[in-house]
Amino acid sequence: MKKTLSLVLAAIMLLGCLSAVACSKATYEIAIVTDVGQLMDKGFNQGTYEGAKAYAEENKKTYKYYQPANGSNATDEDRIAAMRQAINNGAKVIVTPGFLQETAIKTVAKDNPEVKFIFIDGWDLGLDNVVGVSYKEQESGYLAGYAAVMEGYTKLGFTGGGGGSNPACNRFGFGFVQGAAAAAKEKSVELGIKFSFQNGASFSASDALQSQISGWYQNGTEVVFACGGSMFDSVKAAAATYENAKIIGVDVDQSYESDRVITSATKGLAASVKLMLAKFYDGKFEKGGVTLGAAEDATGLPTDTFSTLKTWTLAEYNALYAQIKNGTLVPDSETPTDCNSAAWLTDWLTKGGYTNVTLSFE
Amino acid sequence: MTFLIQQTFICTIPLLIVAMAGMFAERSGIINIALDGIMIFGSFGGALTVYAFIKSGLFTESPQLIYVIAMIVSAIAGALFSLLLSFSAIKLKADQTIAGTAVNMLAPALVLFVIKIFFMQDKLVMPTLPGGKTLNFAILNTELPEFLQAFFSRAYISTYIVLGLYIALSVFLYKTKTGLRLRACGEHPQAADSVGVSVSAMRYLGTTISGALGGLGGFIYITTSAGGTAAGSVAGMGFLAIAIMIFGNWKPVGIALGSFLFGLLRCIGSAYASIDINGDGVFLLQEIGLPMYFYNIIPYAAVLIVLMFTAGKSRAPKAEGIPYDKGMR
Repeated sequence: MKKTLSLVLAAIMLLGCLSAVACSKATYEIAIVTDVGQLMDKGFNQGTYEGAKAYAEENKKTYKYYQPANGSNATDEDRIAAMRQAINNGAKVIVTPGFLQETAIKTVAKDNPEVKFIFIDGWDLGLDNVVGVSYKEQESGYLAGYAAVMEGYTKLGFTGGGGGSNPACNRFGFGFVQGAAAAAKEKSVELGIKFSFQNGASFSASDALQSQISGWYQNGTEVVFACGGSMFDSVKAAAATYENAKIIGVDVDQSYESDRVITSATKGLAASVKLMLAKFYDGKFEKGGVTLGAAEDATGLPTDTFSTLKTWTLAEYNALYAQIKNGTLVPDSETPTDCNSAAWLTDWLTKGGYTNVTLSFE
Repeated sequence: MTFLIQQTFICTIPLLIVAMAGMFAERSGIINIALDGIMIFGSFGGALTVYAFIKSGLFTESPQLIYVIAMIVSAIAGALFSLLLSFSAIKLKADQTIAGTAVNMLAPALVLFVIKIFFMQDKLVMPTLPGGKTLNFAILNTELPEFLQAFFSRAYISTYIVLGLYIALSVFLYKTKTGLRLRACGEHPQAADSVGVSVSAMRYLGTTISGALGGLGGFIYITTSAGGTAAGSVAGMGFLAIAIMIFGNWKPVGIALGSFLFGLLRCIGSAYASIDINGDGVFLLQEIGLPMYFYNIIPYAAVLIVLMFTAGKSRAPKAEGIPYDKGMR
């Protein structure tokens, strides 16, 4: 009898402990799962985190970030583990930046249909609880190209990452040419653009890229749009040996990295994450893919450091931006899947009547 | 032409100094396959020094001084890091290729770990000075006559330091007593030992010089090619340098020829569309209209062809890679 009683008591106590733990266990509704590398990377992870944090704090939601194990060598397994941990901690919505998340999202989203996934810089994965958010990079590129020509530069360069097969880089590059061509037509100046995907296949810095870009600066190119991660570093090294060489940055405001940066073609990660979270909490979560652009303040040039542009004013920028925003000006978003040929761009320029642009493809 | 010479120097100098680094280790009898890792670690040491100077505001009006100090620190960092290899290879008599591979794997991991812990970033970027200016290590002498510009404009002070080091180290290896002993330890350590030369001391010396040069080369590489950003990678330059060293037959003259040839061709390969040899405004290589891949292949193809004809005469230091064992005669 005593034994039974003590057993029952022990069982009750055990249950009590467990339930106490369960109750006191904090839950976090919004989870941010980074892809590779550090949270505060001044790029994708940071932008996503800041957006989610801002939304959560404004709307009194709980949030937590999860960094997959193994840092920059994180594998799909690590990302899957991080997402499962987030769901165990009560996540209702998981925000994940970067194309590397595809496999992890597919795996975890199928097992957890009640949890929603926001796939930043991603695409439609064909799952009911996943939304892929992509950007109209061509708008940022357009604005950057327009700004460069309005600033008085007539010899431009574009070096892109991904070897011509990365859709985001291609859209940035083609937008850049479109914007520059439009501004040149307006000002009726002759424009020379060098365009290359040659040394950026792995998005990394190299002496080869440095040599190529030095060659451009040597032969009169005034400003180079460095479109692809660490490629910026090599363009910066090339610019260091030419007094007046200028650079256009990408993704985030890169004027903090070099005084040669005149502007950056950015993606408003924080703004778009806030927007998507608001949609989720308003019950307007829609599966599939959304493409955000100027209309959602998700593309553009950084206005905080606009003073790096000397001639073109913020007011003029705002006027142009408003045109893109309300749809009167639509930069062409179409790009071929493989951009290692100038044919498409040349055709586009001819069709648009941009006769004062000389495009040299490398 | 001027441009081509300027760029060739930028492409060649890191290869030259790192191939020399490999030579010093191997001539003393230690295979230094860890050069890539040592470069990464040295580049991080240098970048960290520059970072510290900029953040503390010291000497920021004399960038060349900062650059030289950072080069010294990167050499020290490389030398210290190479002790991992020399300790395991000399004291513990470990397999040198495996020890070197371990060092290669450790370096990027360690560097990225430190950068992430202390800087919350994926790479250590050279910060801008207060007020937004960027520290510029390049020397611009654009008012010089064209001929002199090729050698003294759009250049880095590291180029001249490396050329000086190259001469000094070649003399050291071939014209001094210590140099002779070092070479003996790579050819026949038992013979060297029998006349009272400390084989382990010589091998430590060789590997440490190798580490210092490797670290220096790594920092020069990231400064001249990546704007001083340490990202836990030197794009495989360490392995390329080992290939150049073999190409150069483990001799300074051969290494110099090899690295200049390779640097020049690599430079042509990547900047072919901007090269105007005789200054008439015609970019001949682009006019030909060959696909870019052709130019990218040239340096590697050329080295292979040269190796085909010279490989027969190639001779590695006889005792390299074999841990010294007193009992074996």
